[in-house]
Amino acid sequence: MKTLDRGLSWLLAGRRSAASHLLLSPAAAWLIVFLVLPALGLVALSLARNGAYGTVVWSLNLDNYQRAVDPRYVPVLLRTLAFAGATTALCLVLGYPLAYFLSFRAGRFRGALIIALMVPFWTSALVAFYSWMVILGKEGLLNTALLRFGFISAPLGILYTPFSVLLGLVYFYLPFTVLPLYGSLEKIPRSYVEAAYDLGAGRWTAFLKVTLPLSLPGVIAGALLTFIPCLGDFLTAELLGGPRYYLLGNLISNQFLMAQDWPFGAALTTLLLAGMIGGLWAYRRWEPDA
Amino acid sequence: MKKGRGLALYCAGLYAFLYIPLAVMTVFSFNNAHRNVVWLGFTLKWYARLWKDADLMNAMLTSVELAAAAAAIAAVLGVLASYALTRHKNFHGREGYAALLDAPLMIPEVALGVGLLSFLVRAGFELNFGALACAHALICLPYSVGAARARLKSIGGERLEEAAMDLGASEWAAFVKVTLPLLAPAIVSGSLLAFTVSFEDFVTSFFLAGIGIVTLPIKIYAMMKFGVTPEINALSVVLLAATFILLGLNAWLAVRTGEATRL
Repeated sequence: MKTLDRGLSWLLAGRRSAASHLLLSPAAAWLIVFLVLPALGLVALSLARNGAYGTVVWSLNLDNYQRAVDPRYVPVLLRTLAFAGATTALCLVLGYPLAYFLSFRAGRFRGALIIALMVPFWTSALVAFYSWMVILGKEGLLNTALLRFGFISAPLGILYTPFSVLLGLVYFYLPFTVLPLYGSLEKIPRSYVEAAYDLGAGRWTAFLKVTLPLSLPGVIAGALLTFIPCLGDFLTAELLGGPRYYLLGNLISNQFLMAQDWPFGAALTTLLLAGMIGGLWAYRRWEPDA
Repeated sequence: MKKGRGLALYCAGLYAFLYIPLAVMTVFSFNNAHRNVVWLGFTLKWYARLWKDADLMNAMLTSVELAAAAAAIAAVLGVLASYALTRHKNFHGREGYAALLDAPLMIPEVALGVGLLSFLVRAGFELNFGALACAHALICLPYSVGAARARLKSIGGERLEEAAMDLGASEWAAFVKVTLPLLAPAIVSGSLLAFTVSFEDFVTSFFLAGIGIVTLPIKIYAMMKFGVTPEINALSVVLLAATFILLGLNAWLAVRTGEATRL
């Protein structure tokens, strides 16, 4: 009993770094086995060749990467970039006024409103997108309502269009944009804005000359935190896009689950991860304070 | 203050956009119509149908077991790691460990899914419940670490533990008698978040669930492939209600311990 107590106490006291590493080792091992090794495995797999019947032939070549920039797949990559860019721009434009309201105007409702913003984030995206399918479908709520009130004479094809994909992406990623924006607006000393008023600036001048420039770190953080996960999004196009508007995530998924071309899928995933890590690295370097 | 009101109205519109799908689903789960989206009266029959569906109940049970296993693994790993990260001073690599522990939040779920799929299959492992639980524990880990770290930082540094040790307790005794009871609400709260993350996860399970493992989100997805039905509305509301209850419990705990856990 005494030895056990002493051993555990040694572990907790952390006077030796071995104790710290030992306490961290189960979690670190878990991450290495289930995250780092699979990621390295994908890189190795991306250099292999696809054999007959979905087998893997180990080799060292870059054919899979060459295939990724083949005219057959370039549109998917470009579409992914375009959707991620458009989502980011829309989330910033739509989200900035909300972040501003939360920071400057919400008063005692602020806490509740922030929690309310997080709730859709915590609810299952699968379920939310299903509901959007019910709303936007051919016989969906929106079409039924528009037909009944005579605004249209035939149902509109809204679902499975670029519009429905963009709507789903904006719906899901809006909180990712608003929270960093809100965070940087909160950091602006209110006295700066008041000083601008005292010096004769109007509402808009004070906003454009003081508040907006000071919130730029939040704009960039919010943009990156939206753009980067958008690149790897899978569920939105899977449910709201249909096969014509597949994004990179869906192309990857198809290589693994349908085409059974794992090496090519691994190459696409490696490209995705490299792009994300590059983006985060650039952000870290630029970031003025964490 | 006309301008201020315009902004408030705009924000109300944005919140409506965020909540419309949840509201529509809830309303139509009580609608007595099979095929269309016109209100034909109140019914509970879709819920009754869920209750009678043995496959669905099995999927529910699988999801609960999976989430419990993942949250438990994440809680143990998370508490050990958080303790070292917040209490230990003399070791190198703290930043590296912290970045590694946050990595599951950053990696796209598709990449994680296909990475684990190819890794486990090529290493000769079976894609069974255990493998899926391990993967879910991974995506849950940042939440249990986050909750435990925040609490360990806020419960007065090392002073309370030092006081216990001044009174003759060993480090271990101080941990069990002082730290652990103070940490307990954060462990529960982190585990609730972890449970929610696992319970709702679709993408990771989609890639890793071998034949025979059907979680609730996978079941919902399979039903969706056959088209829009009122049962899915009801099932979605059940999932939604579970989320709200778990988040509500978490908020209640946060109020009781006087601190907000990061959501």
